[in-house]
Amino acid sequence: AAAARALEDFPALIREFEALRGTIPTFEAALRAEKEPGT
Amino acid sequence: MSDLTALSATEAHDAFRKGEATAEALVRASLVRIDAHDGKVNSVIRLDSDAALEAAAAQDKARAAGILAGPLAGVPMMHKDMYYRAGKVSTCGSAIRRDFRPERNSTALLRLDAAGAIDMGTLNMAEFAQNPTGHNRHFGDCHNPWNLPYCTGGSSSGSGAGVAARFFAAALGSDTGGSIRLPASICGVTGIKGTQTRVSRAGVMPLSFSMDNVGPLARTARDCARIMRVISGHDPADATSAPEPVPDYEAALTGDLRGLSVAVPQEWFFEGADDVVVKGFEASLEVLKARGAKVSRVSCPSLRAIGTYVAVVSRVEAATIHAQWMRERADDYAKHLSGRLYGGYAIPGTWYVEALSARGPLLRQFCREALAEHHVVATPSLRMRVPTLAETDIDADPANWARHMAISANTRPFNYLGLPTVSLPCGFDDRGLPMGLQIAARPFGEGRALMVADAYQRDTGWHARAPALA
Repeated sequence: AAAARALEDFPALIREFEALRGTIPTFEAALRAEKEPGT
Repeated sequence: MSDLTALSATEAHDAFRKGEATAEALVRASLVRIDAHDGKVNSVIRLDSDAALEAAAAQDKARAAGILAGPLAGVPMMHKDMYYRAGKVSTCGSAIRRDFRPERNSTALLRLDAAGAIDMGTLNMAEFAQNPTGHNRHFGDCHNPWNLPYCTGGSSSGSGAGVAARFFAAALGSDTGGSIRLPASICGVTGIKGTQTRVSRAGVMPLSFSMDNVGPLARTARDCARIMRVISGHDPADATSAPEPVPDYEAALTGDLRGLSVAVPQEWFFEGADDVVVKGFEASLEVLKARGAKVSRVSCPSLRAIGTYVAVVSRVEAATIHAQWMRERADDYAKHLSGRLYGGYAIPGTWYVEALSARGPLLRQFCREALAEHHVVATPSLRMRVPTLAETDIDADPANWARHMAISANTRPFNYLGLPTVSLPCGFDDRGLPMGLQIAARPFGEGRALMVADAYQRDTGWHARAPALA
């Protein structure tokens, strides 16, 4: 280009993931940048 | 003191401190209640009666000499069976670890010990903390004490059910996608997951490197505030634990909501929500407004991406942790769990990297959307009424998959965002099962979220109700 049941979800997950294209440099830095004032 | 099991954690400590109840009496009351009723609820995996009574006797002796162990002295607690004590079995709710004896101690447990909490043993949980319902093939399902055929929420099922049933005053749970807040909501108790890295994860079974949290379930926000202060803070044994100083969370519980602004996101949290849940949530907002809070509806477009990325991160990290056992003994997992893990191996690495890379920017975007002009976010803890164990049993009927996974839809986003989040009881649905209100704050804003929860509990009695266990 139970396990089987779980993978039936994947087309939906792929669609969700691809739908994010175009809609969106660390997490630790962001946590500190957005801290509650005074903490 | 007529019924010592009716006391919350802080009330039990106060009774002990004032000499109104001995630690031994508090522990014995818990043991009697467990013996009478846990056969139906199935919240306990291992009961350490003798050790608990010895610890209680030691505390009574110390108190007689004028020594109080700490802010949780005399308080009976039990914990999700994934907190390690060196040499003691920690099953993690699994067959694979049925005889696992760790060589290290959980820092959270050691801190509770130092504060005087009395550890009575370990609690039922979802296998390896990986379902939101309380099903457990190996130790038996945990049952909701409000109505036994209904689920408890998971994965900290025994923690939620046991606190609700008044078997003990408080318990540790863990929360990777809602595993503290879901059983708190579904069993009608209060629970908090802190800011990501706020509490040490040393000596705790891992599930997701990025999103695991340690936290308490108890009767009240005040109980949670006290326990969070005890267990939070940097730990040399957990290099990821946050260095920020730990405030006195109880000091923040003023009850004064004047000037507080509450944001209610219009996306995500109400999709397909049951009417009774929405009505209960709206009624809880009125309570906050009556205390002086202002409530605003806000738009949070970031939630769509957050909801997708969180599923990618948790699945890949859990599958990675379990890879060796999945290669060697996949049949020792319940089908619903091995099925979930198999899915994790099929997710492309690029998706996982993208999901982690977007986490910082999306946290900042969500804060701009929801918290730039507001102090906290409020949502229903669950979109749906509490389902039965049968309705959410995937192993019995794979068609239950969607309902099973929908349980945690409203809790998962806050794990990806890493925000401190409380669930507290806010009423009962039309079948008599509890409903929960979820309050999230900015990073390290545990005190703010608990302050709102405590203010709500000053004007409502939902948290004080107990199930009638015949």
